[in-house]
Amino acid sequence: MTEIVRDQTMTQAESAVATTGRDLRIPFGLALIGLACVAPLFLGNYPLHAIIIALIFLLPAHGLNLLLGYTGLLSLAQAAFFGIGAYTSALLAVHFGTPFYLNFLAAGFVTGAIALPLGIPALRLRSTSFVMCTLGFVIIGQAIAKNWISLTRGDMGLAAIPKPHFSLGPASFTVSGTVGFYYLVLAIAALATLAVYLIVRSPAGRNMIAIRENETLAESVGIPTWHYKLIVFMISAAFAGLGGSLYAHYLTVVSPLTFQMYYSTTMLIIVLGGGAGTISGVIFGSLLFVGLTEALRVAPELRMIAYGFFLLALVFYFPNGFAPLIGRFWSFLERRK
Amino acid sequence: MFYTVIEQVVNGIVSGSVYAIVAVGMTMIFGVLRAINFAHGEYYMLGTFGAWFAIDYFDLPYPVAIVIGVVATAMIAVVVGNFVMQRIVGAPAEAGVLATLGVALILQNTVILVFGGSYKFFSGGYIEPVSIFGFTLAEQRILIIIVGLIVFVGLELMVTYSRMGKAMRAVSQNIECCAVVGIDVSHIALWTFILGAGLAGLSGVLTAPVNVSVYGGMGELITFKTLPIIIMGGLGNVRGTFVAAMILGIAESLVATYVGLQFRDTVGFATLMLVLMWRPHGLFSAQARF
Amino acid sequence: MSGLPILDISGLCKSYGAVRAVDGVDLHVNRGEICGLIGPNGSGKSTFFDCVTGLARPSAGAVKLDGQDITGWSLNDIAREGRMLRSFQKTVVFSALDIEENLVIAGQMFTFPGIWSTFGIGTAARNRVAALRERARELIKIAGLWDVRFQPAGKLSGGQQKLIQFASMLMPEPKLILLDEPMAGINPKLIERVVDSIRLANTSFGVSFLIIEHNIDVVTSLCKRVVVLDQGRKLAEGTPDEIVQNQAVREAYLGG
Repeated sequence: MTEIVRDQTMTQAESAVATTGRDLRIPFGLALIGLACVAPLFLGNYPLHAIIIALIFLLPAHGLNLLLGYTGLLSLAQAAFFGIGAYTSALLAVHFGTPFYLNFLAAGFVTGAIALPLGIPALRLRSTSFVMCTLGFVIIGQAIAKNWISLTRGDMGLAAIPKPHFSLGPASFTVSGTVGFYYLVLAIAALATLAVYLIVRSPAGRNMIAIRENETLAESVGIPTWHYKLIVFMISAAFAGLGGSLYAHYLTVVSPLTFQMYYSTTMLIIVLGGGAGTISGVIFGSLLFVGLTEALRVAPELRMIAYGFFLLALVFYFPNGFAPLIGRFWSFLERRK
Repeated sequence: MFYTVIEQVVNGIVSGSVYAIVAVGMTMIFGVLRAINFAHGEYYMLGTFGAWFAIDYFDLPYPVAIVIGVVATAMIAVVVGNFVMQRIVGAPAEAGVLATLGVALILQNTVILVFGGSYKFFSGGYIEPVSIFGFTLAEQRILIIIVGLIVFVGLELMVTYSRMGKAMRAVSQNIECCAVVGIDVSHIALWTFILGAGLAGLSGVLTAPVNVSVYGGMGELITFKTLPIIIMGGLGNVRGTFVAAMILGIAESLVATYVGLQFRDTVGFATLMLVLMWRPHGLFSAQARF
Repeated sequence: MSGLPILDISGLCKSYGAVRAVDGVDLHVNRGEICGLIGPNGSGKSTFFDCVTGLARPSAGAVKLDGQDITGWSLNDIAREGRMLRSFQKTVVFSALDIEENLVIAGQMFTFPGIWSTFGIGTAARNRVAALRERARELIKIAGLWDVRFQPAGKLSGGQQKLIQFASMLMPEPKLILLDEPMAGINPKLIERVVDSIRLANTSFGVSFLIIEHNIDVVTSLCKRVVVLDQGRKLAEGTPDEIVQNQAVREAYLGG
């Protein structure tokens, strides 16, 4: 697409080669997973809550990364799909009392399916018009959530969404505490990350990168670009929907405010700030931009101002995101040893 | 029945004029900088806040407040123009979207942080009703229509006759050629941006007495309304933008009366999406501009 | 070289409003042949190419590839089959990816039929990728790009990018390649290398070519048969010698 998401794959490949045969990413990744598993032992409830929020946002961010970082499509629609997922889950839980895992899967499926009729006309548009159209989804989504009162209860929103409950034969338990929810979200986030990894590493992932690099060329070597873009749009929507479902079950309330530009901007910051077109960058981005701000209880206005400056810095100074900075710092430390 | 329709159409023309003054600036900025200014509504908000501040803190009369509001907006536009907008010239479209989104976040939340997020009462303006041809209309609304017309005619004259206007047109047609023939593109970009932001500020000050309430988040709504207008009007097309603004203004006020007030703010984007499905390049643009 | 021509175009027309850019051109390319297409600027060569390869839709006429009517197919439809590929005047590569990745992408669409293998699941898919890499490496060696194979394609010189593009087009083992000014904008030293690769692809891989080219030396050395377009019509056809002697062709180039 542009300078913004240029040569991520290259940096990845380069860094793998550059570490002179000793790839630090695997031990580092394993250490991080280990740390994540034991985090509740030494973290209080509030930091855990911050990490939960960060991990919930990781799902739509992964989706946006597939779309923006790998396929090169800038979309603001993530908030709309996040909201649709949250409402799908909430409505099923409140009206039909269906179990969590069903609501969760349904949220992903429904948002993915809704993305199909929305994506078909939207993806015919180019650059700015596409961005505008995806912004329109958020605004219209919010209007529907506000005004279809018989279904969504309008501005009052839906409350008392049950916490996840699992029953397996006679054994059953409810995930109600922060720690329980933390493990649930961690498992889901890990699975989602694995799924993204598999997609990206596959021939399909390579074709997505080809579309990002040069759509006409991709077309002329036989990649069905239109189908690819549509399917990636749907996958990315489904990821957002899954995130929305978790959000609804975690906060136990949803309101039309779930459909806000704010969420789309947050996801953009996570992806671009972490490094579009890299998986580790997005994880880093969601922990830093969502987790840390939540943990530090930064006032919402200050957080938005910071996001604004981040966006400007990303566009003008760090087109590859902030993650490479960390990489540079890392290799600086190594050289000093 | 008929009377209400006419009344709503007149109201629609008033809000259409408001949108038009904001949107022409945005469309000219697009023409020259090739970037959609997602922060444009924030300049409208800044204009309103400037005037409100002048009236509320210093007890200045409304006409002075208008000047202060516009000047304050223009001054902020100078800063943003120098640090952000000039760098967007020639950058990919996505960079423009992200940078202006960033500016919008900064401006909006700084104002909320400084003045608080609550609604404020705007006390200036000419709210006495007058009646013309049997319609009662607040003076302020007539003023808005008149200013809208002046801005339209003024801009037409400017782009046709003045040096700066001609340069703006030239840049919007072919940026490489301009650089070759010695037009200072980034200078033109800056002035276009200041002009556009100033017009948005003016629109904000003029509308404040009609809206009465002033709050930090008001700009976002205006951005969301002008975006569909400039796209439907054919990006960079001043006349098309005026027509589109009027159509949206009238459509909104009819929808608010006959369908429901709560649907008013979605009219713009709903029509935009229908239009884009039908004609992916807008209603009034002869050729693809993007 | 017997049988049907690989590419058979009859009565191709393309008009933009009242302007007829291509006006009833018949052209065929025989199996195993390198055919040249020349003409002064604005003679309709590029439009003709676009109509044949699906980038533009012809107003009238028929395009037959290997006996199959492909008139009105899109660029992507044609490319996905892998029988006929085209290059662009302005060289384009996937600039952030290295040469090997470029070639693998160019080849893989033709060897991944199922959804599972598209997502790389299963041994069959892995074997296919391995096979593609093998072929890509072979072609990189032939193109003489082995030393720079890990560099991002965008960082290489124009001539090298041209070679990458050419090697990419050989990945799916096409029967026919259409080249749009392959020598435009490349270092004269590299011209010989590109000419050699075209000849090699023709003789060892059995690929037929239709080439638009301004460099008359290249055309004479590569092509046995040359077609001349002027103002959207076919002006002449024959061996390079005949064409150079042809009075009408000389007038078209000189008279403008």
